[in-house]
Amino acid sequence: MFLVNDFIALLAANLILTQALGTSTLFIAAGSRKNLIGTAFVITVFTFFGSVSAYFTDRLLPEKYSDIKLLIYIISIGILYVILLSALYFISRSKFENSRKYIHLSAFNCAVMGTLLTVSGRAAGDSSLKSYITVGLEAGIGFIIAALILTAAYRMLNSSKVPASFRGFPAMLIYLGIISMAVYSLI
Amino acid sequence: MNKRKSSVFDGIFGDNIVLSSLMVISPVIICGDTLKNAVALIYAFSTITFLAVTVSSFVPSKIPYTIKVIIYALISSLIYVPVKWATQEFFPNAIERIGIYFPLLAVNSLIIFRSEAELYKLPKGTMIMKLVFYILGFDSVMLATGFIRELFAYGTINGKIADINTLISGLSQPFGGFIFLGLFCGLYRWICSAAMSRKDEIRSDADVSGK
Repeated sequence: MFLVNDFIALLAANLILTQALGTSTLFIAAGSRKNLIGTAFVITVFTFFGSVSAYFTDRLLPEKYSDIKLLIYIISIGILYVILLSALYFISRSKFENSRKYIHLSAFNCAVMGTLLTVSGRAAGDSSLKSYITVGLEAGIGFIIAALILTAAYRMLNSSKVPASFRGFPAMLIYLGIISMAVYSLI
Repeated sequence: MNKRKSSVFDGIFGDNIVLSSLMVISPVIICGDTLKNAVALIYAFSTITFLAVTVSSFVPSKIPYTIKVIIYALISSLIYVPVKWATQEFFPNAIERIGIYFPLLAVNSLIIFRSEAELYKLPKGTMIMKLVFYILGFDSVMLATGFIRELFAYGTINGKIADINTLISGLSQPFGGFIFLGLFCGLYRWICSAAMSRKDEIRSDADVSGK
C-alpha cells in the first residue's frame, strides 16, 4: 500500500505530466531504450546536484539580488556540465564518445532548469536541504516514469496506422495529454 | 524526391519552431490559456530571444561547443534581468501569472541549440531575418492558442465575456494544453502537406504545358 501511495505521489509531482517541463527532451529520449536510460540518468544527476546548488544559492543570495538567481543557476549547471564531460573524458574515451550526447541534451533544458526554479519556488514552505534534494530526485525519477509511459506506446504512435498528419509528435502530445488527464484526477 | 528550398519565411509556415520542431512548448501548454498570458509571453520570448541570439552571434565560433552553449545561456540570463524589470513596468501582473516559465524562456532551445546548429552558419542579415520569422512563428502559435483556449475554457476574449454556448473547462488545464497542441500540430501538418502537394500539382501542370 505504501508503494502505491509513493507511486501516486511521484506521479502527482511529475514535472512533465503536470507542468510540461522537459517534454521535447522526453520525445527524443523515448525513441530508443538506450537513449531513454542515458538521458534519464544524466537528467537525474543534473537535477540532483542542481538542487543542491539551488539550496546554497537560495540561502546565500540576499533577497534584493534575486533577479540574478537564474544567472547563478546557469553558472552552477554550466560548471556541472563541464565537470561531467571532463570526468567522462578522463574515465574512458569510448564512453565519452558514446555518452556525451546525453550530457549535451540534458544540461540546459526545461526539465533541469524547471526543477531548479520549482524547488526554489517551493522553498517558502520547506527550505531544508532534504526537501531540495527530494524534489531534485523526484524530478529525475518522474522523467524516467514519463519516458517509460511514452516508450510503451512509442511504436504504435509512430506506426503507419496513425494518419500521416498526426503520426509522431502530434499523437505523442495527445497521448501525454490523456496520461496527464489521468494524473490530474489523482491530485 | 520532393525537396523544398528553405526560405527565411519558413519560421511561420513550414518550419514553425513550436508546431514542427516542438521547441518552447512548455509555456504554450501551461501558460497559453488566456490572451493576456499569451501577450506577456510573446513580449518576453520575442525580446529575450532576439537580443540573446543577436548578441550571442558575436561569440567566436572557434570556442569549443560546450563552452559556447554555456556562454549563450549566460548571455540570455543577463538579458533576462532588464527584460524582467521592463515586464514589471509594462505588464505588472504578468510575472506572477507566468511564474517559472518566464525565466525558463531565457534557456529556450532556439537560443541554446537551434541558433548554434543553424542560425550562426548564415550571413548576419539572413540570420536576423530568419530569427525574426522564427519568433513570429512562435508568437502566432501563442496568440492563436491563447485566444482559442480562453474562448472555449472560460468563455471570454481578453477577459471580456463572449457569447459562447459550449465551454470546455479542461482546456485551461495542462492536459487540455497537451491535447490542444497535439491537435493544432496535426492540423498544421495537414495544411502544410496539402499546400505542398497543391504547389507540386501546379508546378507539374506548368511543366507539362511548357513542353
